[in-house]
Amino acid sequence: MELSEYFSQLFSDYTLRTITLGTAILGAICGMLGSFAVLRKQSLLGDAISHAALPGIAIGFLIREYQIDPLEKVSVLGRVFNKIVTVIQWVLDLFGGGTNTLLIGALISGVLGTFLIRGIINRTHLKTDTALGLVLSLFFGFGILLLTFIQKQPNANQAGLDKYLFGQAATLVESDVILMASVTGVCLVILLLFWKEFKILLFDADYTKTLGFNTRFIDILITFFIVLAIVLGLQTVGVVLMSAMLLAPAAAARQWTNKLSVMIVLAAIFGAFSGVFGTAISASQNNLSTGPVIVLVTGVFVAFSFIFSPGRGILFKQIRVYKNRRDLKLQKTLQFMFDIAKMHNDISHPHAIKILNNFQGYTRGTLKELEEKEWVAVQGQKWSMTEKGYDAAANLYNTN
Amino acid sequence: MDVQIEIQLIAVIVAIACAIPGVFLVLRKMALISDAISHSILPGIVIGFFITEDLNSPWLILLAALTGVITVVLVEAIQKTGLVKEDTAIGLVFPALFSIGVILIAKNANDVHLDVHAVLLGELAFAPSDRLLIGGVDVGPKSLWVMGIILMITIGLLLTFFKELKVSTFDVGLSAALGFSPVVLHYGLMTISSVTVVGAFEAVGAVLVVALMIAPAATAYLLTSDLKKMLVLSVIFGVTSAIGGYWIAHLLDASIAGSMTTVLGIVFMMVYLFAPNKGLIAVLYRQKQQRTEVSLLTFLLHLNNHEEETERHVKHLNEHINWQQVRSKTVLDLAQKNNLIAINDQIVSLTQKGKEFTELALEYIITNKDENIEHMKDDFFLFRG
Repeated sequence: MELSEYFSQLFSDYTLRTITLGTAILGAICGMLGSFAVLRKQSLLGDAISHAALPGIAIGFLIREYQIDPLEKVSVLGRVFNKIVTVIQWVLDLFGGGTNTLLIGALISGVLGTFLIRGIINRTHLKTDTALGLVLSLFFGFGILLLTFIQKQPNANQAGLDKYLFGQAATLVESDVILMASVTGVCLVILLLFWKEFKILLFDADYTKTLGFNTRFIDILITFFIVLAIVLGLQTVGVVLMSAMLLAPAAAARQWTNKLSVMIVLAAIFGAFSGVFGTAISASQNNLSTGPVIVLVTGVFVAFSFIFSPGRGILFKQIRVYKNRRDLKLQKTLQFMFDIAKMHNDISHPHAIKILNNFQGYTRGTLKELEEKEWVAVQGQKWSMTEKGYDAAANLYNTN
Repeated sequence: MDVQIEIQLIAVIVAIACAIPGVFLVLRKMALISDAISHSILPGIVIGFFITEDLNSPWLILLAALTGVITVVLVEAIQKTGLVKEDTAIGLVFPALFSIGVILIAKNANDVHLDVHAVLLGELAFAPSDRLLIGGVDVGPKSLWVMGIILMITIGLLLTFFKELKVSTFDVGLSAALGFSPVVLHYGLMTISSVTVVGAFEAVGAVLVVALMIAPAATAYLLTSDLKKMLVLSVIFGVTSAIGGYWIAHLLDASIAGSMTTVLGIVFMMVYLFAPNKGLIAVLYRQKQQRTEVSLLTFLLHLNNHEEETERHVKHLNEHINWQQVRSKTVLDLAQKNNLIAINDQIVSLTQKGKEFTELALEYIITNKDENIEHMKDDFFLFRG
């Protein structure tokens, strides 16, 4: 399928429409919440959580496929766990999510992982990076153990498990999209309700505390939504690449603005477009999973923003450096001329251009530019300083 | 050699080879770099595979390791622009490189017999089937030789540069002043980590390499602050997980790498909870103890300040000093057990020892030198809070 074909079929074809809508919404919510992750310096939390969700998915799978409650028999805790599952399931049903046990499992184990990360950072001297790496790899390893265990079971229906590893947007169905849209909606409402609190916590956590806000609650609220977004995205983008989905749109948006609201909106737009373009490209080629393509598209957004954003971009920064350097050269030449002119009673006494040759800042270009600014007058092989140039040179260090 | 023993031998060697660089990564706060490297070697492996058609070829290992080092360079370059923080830079680089690898595989699916699954998850059980033949003689599994050589190199470098590594890990400035370039050591460590990750991915997979690198070191770090002890402990944890993991996998008929990681996870959780000084329970206990002792100090100072009997009545004390968290009874008992106070007719008064202690405590509060208070407690307390 060609790209143009994809776009012409976008509105008529049910599957394409669902997938595109799904990835667009996913990109938007990830961009939105990713902004918080990036600004809170929790960029890699997403990576850790998406990996930590794996054992939850596997346990969810066990519960769904075999109708067994491995925990119920074990302890009271197991029964409490199952009650929680039932309640979350009920809430999800309310949003039209269907009975998605895998998602609930992923959510619970993601949240558990987050708490463990916090516990390790707060209670021991291990640093953030170690805590993230530990939770990421240990949970994932346990998940792999469970998965391979499941795969060896007779009659295991493994379809649906594999897609969580690498993501397959093609498996998105309408109920998934509805679920994503509802979560995005709830998230937006919460974001608007707690806008002031989120913002102040982001930039000055201590001040927030002194103002009497419950920082713990706000903190947990943000983190919970980040976990939720990750869990929703697993099916589409996969465990490994989910973190990029969260980070990249936000990192790109950050380059264009210093305002939180603008950044969130931009990140959501970047995310949504990455989703659509990524789906379009992967649908128009054979053998391309959606996840990697979406990630590369977000990568293009990031690279473009890094280079071309007017305020912080590398290109404009370089141009500014170059311009400053030229201005400095010009000023140095002017200063040198000023020192010579100062020694004469008549400031516009002509001097040979030759004497400038030993001076570093001097080039033909700078002389020409000085002449254009009417700071010096050039006649043949001689230059003389004008009244304007003299004033400018005298005030050189006062104005800047 | 028996296949079972061969598999366990490979697992043990991989675990040790990962644990050694892991210790330095954890100490240098670069644990997540190993995660980034382990993912971004994928395009290197794919391109190397195009050229060599052999997963165990040294060229492929070098090429893939080079991708790992390029990742580090890229992360540092992005960080240097100041546009994003370090963790964001890591999070941007490795998914992009990993995606390129996945797409390369997908586009050349017919030529490459490489499976992203295999790279990510690995399968130790198949490792012994690829034999190394020298002059037609079977000398053992290829991956055993590859990892064995990597381990030898790692140990050799560790012994040669132990002092330099130690200094540059704990004091970059001093190391630079002494003439050991921190940059060279940094990239040396990165190269060794990359080579180890590449060598190990086939056996345990790219993600679980991270577990083998970080978890033993982090667990050991909770138990000791001595670098040598930490290295020895993490090697022990690595070996335990390798052998324990193998047998659990054998029992459940599941992935060996997965069960090795699970064993590591269990060991870490045990140490995290029960480690003598830095474990969760020890920390919580110490916090409770300190809370009680601070209350005791406040209580003694109150007694010292008040001569009048009404202020020193037991009932009054309960109300006067605001103890909500700590039961006043605990504090009173503690003070009495340590002979700091005497109670006559419900009236509390300081003993001679109590007075001395309070004087010293006051001095401590004024000078505010942390190290003094613990000595004082040791001198005066028979029982701790």
